[in-house]
Amino acid sequence: MRHLSLAFGLLVALALPVQAECYADYKAKQDDPLRLHYGVAQVSACDKAVAKAELADRLAAAGWTLLNVLSVFGPEGLEERKASAAEYFLRF
Amino acid sequence: MQPNTSSVSDSLRAGNRVVAFGIAAIVLVLLGAAVFLFLNLPDANAFNARVERLFIENDNLTTGAEIKLLEILAQSGTSFSEVLTSYRSVIFVLLVFATALLIASLVFLVTIVALNRRISAIQRSGIQVATMLISREARAVYINDMEFALTEAALETLAVLAEARMDDEVLTGAQIEAVISGRNEADCDEAAGATRVKRLRDALGNQLVSELLVKTIARRGYVLAVGKDALKMI
Repeated sequence: MRHLSLAFGLLVALALPVQAECYADYKAKQDDPLRLHYGVAQVSACDKAVAKAELADRLAAAGWTLLNVLSVFGPEGLEERKASAAEYFLRF
Repeated sequence: MQPNTSSVSDSLRAGNRVVAFGIAAIVLVLLGAAVFLFLNLPDANAFNARVERLFIENDNLTTGAEIKLLEILAQSGTSFSEVLTSYRSVIFVLLVFATALLIASLVFLVTIVALNRRISAIQRSGIQVATMLISREARAVYINDMEFALTEAALETLAVLAEARMDDEVLTGAQIEAVISGRNEADCDEAAGATRVKRLRDALGNQLVSELLVKTIARRGYVLAVGKDALKMI
């Protein structure tokens, strides 16, 4: 019983912050010459519209233009996108 | 204004109008072509925009290699559009040349047509009498401002013929003789009038010129081959 509650507590303790962590994968460009990149970035809310606004600002500061946000996902989706995003994985 | 010269200047005026319209049409057409050309050639960003759309629309184009490929595609498109820009200037220069050549050929064409018309007019009329002034006082006739002295009798004959020409009449030898001598036409000899015409022709010199000036109309008589407007008597 104690084991079970401990395990449950651990699970909740682990799960809560994990639930709050949201990531988005996006596409961005730079003009003259045209440069494109696909990247993954952490966002504050698991919502596409919020992620879009947030990322647009962040990318603009670095001279990039956000093209679109593909999806918003939790940490479980990070691994499969790591290879594609490469240098832009969690950079912005 | 003389009828023959006015017809030439009329055709010249018509030719000038054709030239003006033709040049306007050529310039308009080639200007339109140039504008069309400049508007239709894609600018450098057209390729980039296509590549960008491709990138946005395909969600699975995410790996680094694919993106690199897209960038190369955009770059080659951009360099191609730079080539197109240089082509555009070359084409524009060629268009300008084409305009100049077309205008030149049009002007030459119209000039040739006008000259042909003038030449055929000259060929038709042989010797052109632009003005013919008969002066009784000076006893001379001025043909195209060249003075020809005449005897009293020859001048009389010429004056009679000129008056007849103004009335669009053809005089027989007998009629000429009747007018000059003041006798009745029935009493006059055809040969007397013919002699007067012959003397007039002789007085004017060259038979050919005279033949052209004082024409014989078979079985009808004699008439001056001069435009009515060209005749003047003082």
